[in-house]
Amino acid sequence: MSARTSVARRTLATPLILSALLIVFALLAWFVGSKPFNQTIIDIFLRVILVVGLYIFVGNSGVISFGHAGFTCLGAYAAAWLTMPPMMKQTLLPGLPEWLTALQLPYWAGAGLAALWAAVWAALFGKILMRLSGIAASIATFAMLAMINTIYSNWEDVTGATSSVVGIPIVRTVWPYLIAAILAVFIAWAHAISRAGLALRAARDEPTAASASGIDLPRERLIAFVVSGAVMGMGGALFAHSIGVVTPDTFYLGLTFITLSMLVVGGMGSLSGAVIGVLFLSVLIQALRWLEAGVTIGASKFALPNGVQEIALGVVMILILARRPSGLMGNKELGWRRAGSVAPDVSGQKQPDLSKGVSK
Amino acid sequence: MSAILQILFDALSLGSLYALGALGIALIFGVMRLVNFAHGDVIAFSIFALLWPSTDAVAVIFAGNLPWFLLVPFVLVMGAGLSVLAEITVFRRFRKASPATMMIASFALGFVIRYFLLMLFSSRPKSISLLPALSQPVEILGARIPLLQVITIAVTVAILFGLTSFLKRTRFGLEMRAAAENFTMARVLGVRANRVIMGAFALSGALAAAIGLILGSQTGTADIQMGANVMLMAFIATVIGGLGSLPGAVIAGFLLGAASVVMQVTLPIDARPFRDAFVYGAVILVLIFRPQGLLAARGTKERV
Amino acid sequence: MSLLKLADVTIRYGRLTAVRSVSLSLAEGEILFITGPNGAGKSSLLRAIAGVTPPAGGRIDFADHDVTGRAPEDIARLGLSMVPEGRDVFGSLTIEENLLVGTGMHAGERGWRARAASALEEVYATFPILKDRRNAQAGLLSGGQQQMLVIGRALMTNPRLIAIDEPSLGLAPNITDQVYERLIALRRQRALTLLIVEQSSTRAMMVGGRMILMRGGQVMMDGDASAMGQSEAMQDAYFGYGEH
Repeated sequence: MSARTSVARRTLATPLILSALLIVFALLAWFVGSKPFNQTIIDIFLRVILVVGLYIFVGNSGVISFGHAGFTCLGAYAAAWLTMPPMMKQTLLPGLPEWLTALQLPYWAGAGLAALWAAVWAALFGKILMRLSGIAASIATFAMLAMINTIYSNWEDVTGATSSVVGIPIVRTVWPYLIAAILAVFIAWAHAISRAGLALRAARDEPTAASASGIDLPRERLIAFVVSGAVMGMGGALFAHSIGVVTPDTFYLGLTFITLSMLVVGGMGSLSGAVIGVLFLSVLIQALRWLEAGVTIGASKFALPNGVQEIALGVVMILILARRPSGLMGNKELGWRRAGSVAPDVSGQKQPDLSKGVSK
Repeated sequence: MSAILQILFDALSLGSLYALGALGIALIFGVMRLVNFAHGDVIAFSIFALLWPSTDAVAVIFAGNLPWFLLVPFVLVMGAGLSVLAEITVFRRFRKASPATMMIASFALGFVIRYFLLMLFSSRPKSISLLPALSQPVEILGARIPLLQVITIAVTVAILFGLTSFLKRTRFGLEMRAAAENFTMARVLGVRANRVIMGAFALSGALAAAIGLILGSQTGTADIQMGANVMLMAFIATVIGGLGSLPGAVIAGFLLGAASVVMQVTLPIDARPFRDAFVYGAVILVLIFRPQGLLAARGTKERV
Repeated sequence: MSLLKLADVTIRYGRLTAVRSVSLSLAEGEILFITGPNGAGKSSLLRAIAGVTPPAGGRIDFADHDVTGRAPEDIARLGLSMVPEGRDVFGSLTIEENLLVGTGMHAGERGWRARAASALEEVYATFPILKDRRNAQAGLLSGGQQQMLVIGRALMTNPRLIAIDEPSLGLAPNITDQVYERLIALRRQRALTLLIVEQSSTRAMMVGGRMILMRGGQVMMDGDASAMGQSEAMQDAYFGYGEH
């Protein structure tokens, strides 16, 4: 156990630095004190939770998952079921069981249960899916997402189908989101230095050696899948509380791709990459939004046409990836010392060149 | 009898769309291991190329008034052109990147194309009347089948034959098949990488445009989201068919189409809205039992 | 006048240096064996020459062109044909299609079709078994047949130099003998230059010609194969634990 505590001490810098970074953002919102800006910061924290949740599985296993937005969906609707006023549930979601209709929990308890609910489903799906690897696994997670979306888009009585579910209590202060984001970062860190996390990363980097040394890959992947599902579920619940409305399509392809993009742009091999990717792209999105809304320079007002924001975002993503294929962080962690790293042995994502076959 | 015939035609025409989409994705995957998420947006782009930029609800027709024998090639060229442009400006820089990075880059590119269309045309679907002569039904063995369905199937079969003979009988086709199987080895034998990849992108883009034409005629609307659904199914078909296997992609596309239509008919009424969930569930099952796909590319795995 | 010339070629994979500062030259019509233990950098050297892995340093000249860092297809078009280790046949293509892939680089030249057809006949004459199974999928061939196919495929490009990685790997000894017989005969017929990588030096000694011994990414010895066989340094290179 002493080896583990030494690993913990050596790598603790990463979550601490990342948390400090998040706190800076929260204080910024506090000082500015404007409502829209507050909401912007809340959105950033939500993305941090989701992208860190995604990182726990994708980053450690190296398997791209398109399905994690599904867990966010599960979490968001669970929060709606648990925290909406019973009266509203009766009219909007008449198919809910009576005990659930009568229940009205505070948002934090709802978020906790939502995380648990998502984790249970992650365990069920993961039990089947984690036997797959590579692209087959990615497609299977995709099919899972599409399944969840189809069910939530059509189960009129319980999810309200495609119409919005309104009446979820809105939480407007930044702090709960900050705490949840920091919690997500620490969960990711704790998982990364746990036996399961270390084994999983070892298997990602050296698959043959790992299987030879007896790592039970499906099991380690399942653990990561469940932990990351729980974090995504918590993120989904808070997402619901941040805007007070949920629809199934909020948690479908758009969210899948924005979270994956942030992870890959930041560097999918490291926790710091996940957080930095969110912060970097979020700041960029915000700057572009302001430009779209119009900036007054001297006497003339200058505004970008609608759609330029997304186009610029796409172009910047392509440029970053072309320049730094393994992301802004290049799979390194932030630390006090230069080479501080949660996983000292992670020297970089494998970059298979086109020489498949010849290299055999 | 006529009911069964109707189901058969439904299944074949839906399967045709999926098969053409899967083929477009598999062609590019074969030569550069890129899962191209921009494919769906190429579909939409080639239809919007028929319209003059305007944000009105009513489409302002530009090339859409051309007679069909000019309109069809025009749309195909737009699709192929955009696809080749994407290769030159974007994907060429990612030849050595990991599949994940390439995939995200293709997504970002799709995002750019989509919002470019949105900027020019707004997000409202526009009604267009594309090849209106195709919407009347024909009678086949007592069943009234929309002419468009018949044409969709016929065109798909023609495309498949054409593509097969192109790949089997021409030098360029031979080089593409060789490159799809082992890119480096093909290059060592003097096959020009850029030419083959550009050829694959051009073909894939033209296939996307063909889907656009079919969808546009079927629905009578141009919508910037129109390619998304086909692309998802096509993407799944590509994997089920065994990544990189072109015949596999086509067969899996038809299977998915058939599965969707058959489930639509056989599921109990209450479960019908959840049809796609069953289809996706079936996909997961297929992957569990055959992770390499139903028809894994032959020869690649068998090494002595 | 040398056909192939390497000057200070260094190859790295990430932080690992596979080949350090190797220089050698090969004259037209020569036969050169590169031998050495596993991990000596032999295959890496071959891949660099063919343009598959560009070298991190140094310069490679082939047929009076600086080909350092050039694309594999450009180098192939200058007349260098590499046969990689592991016999990379295109498994889903037929044997005849495999053979024809490499003729495309001459497409457009005058009379290339006729030349390709006669090259095909020549390969079939050399390896009759390939002719018998010309329409079979290459993935279904046995190891020895695949080896013949890849050598035939290399010949189809009408190369000036063939670089072969481990032609005897995984083959029964009598089949290896056959493969070598054909190679030597071909070299005589066409004034072909041969660069052959083999882990064991016995074959080089049997065939004769020049031999280079590599170890730890460096050239340890360079000389006549049969003379080197006797030397003690040779034993050291394989089994010794010298400086690293």
